[in-house]
Amino acid sequence: MGKTLELEHVSKFYPGVVALDDVSFSIEEGQVHALMGENGAGKSTLIKVISGAIKPEMGNIVIEGKHFTSLTPGLSKEMGIGVIYQEFNLVPTMSVVENIFLGEKIGNQIMPNFGEMHRKAQEIFAEFGVAIDTDAMVSELTPGKQQLVEIAKTLTRNVKLIIMDEPSASISVADVQTLFRIIGQLRKKGVTIIYISHRMEEVFEIADAVSIMRDGKYVGTKAMREVSRKDLITMMVGRELNESYPVRPQEAGGCVLEVEHLFGNGDRDISFSLRKGEILGIAGLVGAGRTELAKVIYGAEKLDRGKIKVNGKEIKIRSPHDAIVAGIGYIPEDRKNEGAFLEFPIDWNISIMSLPRLSKGMVVAVKKIDELANQFQKMLGIKTPTIKQYVKNLSGGNQQKVVVAKTLATNSNIIIFDEPTRGIDVGAKQEIYQLMNELIKKGISIIMISSEMEELIGMSDRIIVMHEGTVQGELQKEDFSQNKILEYASGL
Amino acid sequence: MKTNKKFNTGEFLRNNMAWVLLVVCCIIFAFISPNFFSLINIINILNQNAYIIITALGISFIMMAGEVDISVGFAISLNGVIVALLMTKLGIPSFLGVIISIVLGIVIGLVNMLVAYKLKLQLFMATVGTTTIFQGLAFVMTQSKTISDLPVAFKAIGQGYIGPMPIPVLIAIILFIMVSFILNKTYIGRYVFAIGGNVEAARLAGINVFGMKIFIASIAGFMTGVGAIILSARLGSVTANMGTGLEFTIITAVLLGGVSVRGGEGKISGVVAGVLILAILSNGMQLARLDVYYQFVAKGIIMLAAIGFDVFQLNRKKKATIKVPVTEELTK
Ligand SMILES: Nc1ncnc2c1ncn2[C@@H]1O[C@H](COP(=O)(O)OP(=O)(O)OP(=O)(O)O)[C@@H](O)[C@H]1O
Ligand SMILES: [Mg+2]
Repeated sequence: MGKTLELEHVSKFYPGVVALDDVSFSIEEGQVHALMGENGAGKSTLIKVISGAIKPEMGNIVIEGKHFTSLTPGLSKEMGIGVIYQEFNLVPTMSVVENIFLGEKIGNQIMPNFGEMHRKAQEIFAEFGVAIDTDAMVSELTPGKQQLVEIAKTLTRNVKLIIMDEPSASISVADVQTLFRIIGQLRKKGVTIIYISHRMEEVFEIADAVSIMRDGKYVGTKAMREVSRKDLITMMVGRELNESYPVRPQEAGGCVLEVEHLFGNGDRDISFSLRKGEILGIAGLVGAGRTELAKVIYGAEKLDRGKIKVNGKEIKIRSPHDAIVAGIGYIPEDRKNEGAFLEFPIDWNISIMSLPRLSKGMVVAVKKIDELANQFQKMLGIKTPTIKQYVKNLSGGNQQKVVVAKTLATNSNIIIFDEPTRGIDVGAKQEIYQLMNELIKKGISIIMISSEMEELIGMSDRIIVMHEGTVQGELQKEDFSQNKILEYASGL
Repeated sequence: MKTNKKFNTGEFLRNNMAWVLLVVCCIIFAFISPNFFSLINIINILNQNAYIIITALGISFIMMAGEVDISVGFAISLNGVIVALLMTKLGIPSFLGVIISIVLGIVIGLVNMLVAYKLKLQLFMATVGTTTIFQGLAFVMTQSKTISDLPVAFKAIGQGYIGPMPIPVLIAIILFIMVSFILNKTYIGRYVFAIGGNVEAARLAGINVFGMKIFIASIAGFMTGVGAIILSARLGSVTANMGTGLEFTIITAVLLGGVSVRGGEGKISGVVAGVLILAILSNGMQLARLDVYYQFVAKGIIMLAAIGFDVFQLNRKKKATIKVPVTEELTK
């Protein structure tokens, strides 16, 4: 079989960072080829070189025997390459069909043939076996469907290679299955796929081969059937990593948070309690109302009815500020829209929630902020040459760490983690788990919302399962099982 | 590690665009008119534009928080008219006139903000409405006549000197220092940027977004009040047309200064440079005896260029590869 794509000695530099360091490797035609590596290893940068979004400083890109020193987005498209970026590139206020044919019209320029466009779009979705209204506005679709629109966008041309940068990070479990089915279909049609993910199970499920990157360097390529999970991790991290859920002495104390008959933000009659030094997991399918619940407790959405008690005392939380004062912190799941200030530096981001403490009077104490930011950079392993770096220039996983640091810096006693390990690499996941345990040791209590069943089971002391805006069941540690959780989550 | 220790000229130019442009303008006019660089002329230009600088400082707050206010022109007219009527018709003393003007400025700012909040509109849309109301009120109150004979003490604020320094310039300098301090040194300033950068993230970070907007509207209103005082006092008389078109001059100046219409960034010193660029250009065109309507055309072009540049910068930034300050630390 031929090679769809070859890279020869490709390097890309940013100030203080070698994002790609003399990378050479090739992708076989018709394969699903996984690309793995830690946060900041250079995966997204590599993709951008192939898509023509950025120009490498050195090296060649070879597509079907043609050599390029760099590509442009137009050229890359013309060569049959389609890319789905880590952050979606759809216009939310336009319809599905308009997005799919954005920039390339069927019919002539003045009178585009909309009927034909709709027909083609519907044809693509029919082939996928999914129902999407081509007239619907993109902002009304679930993230999973938005992603299918992204894929459809690449299919309007004769595409040979589709690159997906962490496609599974922001969609539901069911949508991941649909995605995999479609990847299978595309592969059968001879389309090559590069698939980036931090989730090991996924890669083992769909990839034929995997290439590993570390610190901007290419480490190696393996056929999927000849590697183990452990081998992969060692290649990624550069040393052996013990992948397990760290144990902690179990000694939960008294109740720190009690929620009684809470109504609001679409959730109904929710009651539960959280004890000191405990991790309470919240399981449920996407749309079960978990984030909605967290936002009500955090004061970001209105509480219609019910009581919230902290340390036995009922308190009124009318705004996130009230919640923070009461010692409740929330780490949002939507990094780009709710978590990070992308246009500002790391230290600015980490300190923004804790400024009164880091100021003398009203004047911000720059030294204290530096100290705090440096401390968190070390603690969470945020990969950057300087804490003055703009957050938008960080890799996805490192942005996530900044968002986590921002809330941790408030010194809350109760912290709600909403999908804390989304887009984070294996090593960093372990670090976040360790960090949770350390927080617990300090007497902090944690609520963890997660769609990763394994992590919930591994980390929680207790799990409540939500379904359609209400609590469906509660599981004690000795009763944890994926089946039980799934049963409750689907409302059985 | 590869490091780039070279001084990055492009980066410098981009960050200090307004000052670079100002210097270019100055050099050109120094050639045209030999008196341009005299101290007297410079102080003169500053004096004539002090009220614009002051008002622009206030509008910058609003634009850094990601909003646009187009009502300042008639807000200043209305403010000047009311205070002038109170002083000339009711004989209110000058110091009370000053206080009323400032309070009125703040009230008008708050009205704009609250209208936007209650109707869930962008401030821009709300001020499209309120500016027409302010205009109407100002004309009704003056019946399209000029109100002259302002009290001497009041006029002194716009026409007096302390040493060689005109009082308006002095006030502008003090307010500039105050605003720079708030924006660059205090956490309130960071909250303003945070709201401009990402409102939802700011809200979830526990920042009281509504409270901050009230604060921003008050500061901007305060500046408008001071601007109105200085303008009426300097002119010595007041008309309902006094502030016409000021809003566009100010928005252009603020954009030229590097504050983005999308908020979240910008340097306050650039705004001063922005005002001065426009001032010097119109000054120069007067020297060249161009009809005043040509000046409108020129201002319009500059405004488009400023907005265009703003968008251009944004696009560049999206693609920008180099954005880290190049420091020693990077070599580690
Ligand atoms: N525009 C930029 N300016 C400066 N540094 C950058 C820029 N873009 C990327 N980098 C740096 O290049 C390195 C590689 O980033 P990249 O986004 O390719 O990582 P990644 O492997 O995709 O990580 P993740 O799994 O977290 O998404 C990182 O250290 C990142 O901070
Ligand atoms: Mg990435």
